[in-house]
Amino acid sequence: MAFLDGLLPAYYESIIITVGIYIILALGLNLITGVTGQLSLGHAAYMCIGAYTSAIVSMKLGLPFIVALLCAGIVAAIFGIFIGFPVLRLTGDYLAICTLGFGEILKSILFNMPYVGGAMGMAGIPPKTTLLNTIIIALIVIIVMVRMERSRFGRSLVAIREDEIAAECMGINAFRYKLQMFAIGTFTAGLGGALWAHKIMVLQPRDFGFMKSIEILNMVVLGGLGSIPGTILGATLLTAIPEILRFSSEYRMVIYGALLVIMMIFRPHGLMGNTDFNKLAKRTFRVFNTNNNKDKKSGMEG
Amino acid sequence: MPLLELNEVTIKFGGLIAVDSVDLTIEKGEIQALIGPNGAGKSTVFNLVTGIYPPTSGTISFKGQAINGKKPYNITRLGIARTFQNIRLFNELTVLDNVKIGRHCRSKAGAFGGIIQPPSVKREEKEIEQKALECLRLMDLDDKAEELAKNLPYGEQRRLEIARAMASEPEILLLDEPAAGMNPQEKTVLVEKIKKIREMGLTIFLVEHDMKFVMGISDRVAVLDYGKKIADGPPDAVQKNPEVIAAYLGKEVV
Repeated sequence: MAFLDGLLPAYYESIIITVGIYIILALGLNLITGVTGQLSLGHAAYMCIGAYTSAIVSMKLGLPFIVALLCAGIVAAIFGIFIGFPVLRLTGDYLAICTLGFGEILKSILFNMPYVGGAMGMAGIPPKTTLLNTIIIALIVIIVMVRMERSRFGRSLVAIREDEIAAECMGINAFRYKLQMFAIGTFTAGLGGALWAHKIMVLQPRDFGFMKSIEILNMVVLGGLGSIPGTILGATLLTAIPEILRFSSEYRMVIYGALLVIMMIFRPHGLMGNTDFNKLAKRTFRVFNTNNNKDKKSGMEG
Repeated sequence: MPLLELNEVTIKFGGLIAVDSVDLTIEKGEIQALIGPNGAGKSTVFNLVTGIYPPTSGTISFKGQAINGKKPYNITRLGIARTFQNIRLFNELTVLDNVKIGRHCRSKAGAFGGIIQPPSVKREEKEIEQKALECLRLMDLDDKAEELAKNLPYGEQRRLEIARAMASEPEILLLDEPAAGMNPQEKTVLVEKIKKIREMGLTIFLVEHDMKFVMGISDRVAVLDYGKKIADGPPDAVQKNPEVIAAYLGKEVV
């Protein structure tokens, strides 16, 4: 497990781990908001649940990291289903406000929960997140998302986004699919939260506020809603750019904000929106094929 | 036993009675049309049959089984498919994917099947693709399979909706104004396609405004006015019915 340790300077290693965690988080939100079109403003809440769950499992129960990870995902997904059950019947703005509300409620509860340290938070979480396990988990999440997108399940989710009534008339139980999708999306948020907790080693409720949810949403929108490569790119850029801009010290966030605005003006569908690599490849191949066939045909006629 | 039977079906939206105790029977293999002035409740009848609205009272039965109050996705599974008056395609998906979604109720792979992709799921996916292509060929859209649905011309979008509905292997096909906005050539193609679908043994129930289209294709025509059924019978009899003429052209002032 240790062969990647020390390969990179600690600073770069830390940034890459952060990128990996944000890729995991953003892919979960991409499934909910990008693929299925259910605007969630509370993704950080599920990350928070995952982070606290994993911290409790590894600190208070003393169980291994892998157990902490799985528990984080499962508990986040349980909360996802629990919250999703009433909330996913809503659409658009209403759904956004409800998810936002849940995030704030969760924060207040944690502030007042002595078991997890209240406002002081939890400190001394074992540093179990490494470059290797982050990369492995990020890869698993990417593979799962890609496979799901191309399956009957993923197609149904896109159908729900495009037209829920038509989707129901095609035999899709929209509510059930949305709930399943939400469970998967929040599960990945829980995973990301657990990795986060075991990286920064200190958890405070205020780290998981509205701004964190917006940060993750930014990555998905910047990359292109519904596009997996776009989301990965968005998460990478938005984690890396503030670091790259460190030289400009106090102007850092100004430039960052300006970049976001410029991006949205010139590519409103996101960096990778409207680019479907799978179909692009298929189409190129097909054009190539038909050209070949035409050549053959004309050859035969001649 | 009729294939689809509406028995005193009523729906009220607040104080408005949109459909008022309508009786209608559709026999297997026939083309039944439903006509009426704007706002007569034709599309509402479709929405009732497909489960988008539950009726306030009355029963709807399909093959002798009551279906009122069932959810749209369950009704589709039983063999009722529809198109929409204001085209409702999945715009950002390709033509082929649109039809694949129509196949949803006849396949079963879930989220985990999609992630793990065991051979059974791969086989099912192949079967979905084949059936979808068949439906596209039926509607002469197979050469557009990779286009995005939103990029198709209007007439083809209407045909794609029919292809998508056909993918669910229905016994009865509900067409909500299939010829609306089509030019004469497109309409000729559409009539041909509808006749072909009927020859495949399907029953067709259609709402349409174009009288020439309706009278030329239907076996039976029912007329709705202000939510009430005012006539039902063969096209030529309905055309001569004084109540129908009054509904469309207004009553003579004596």
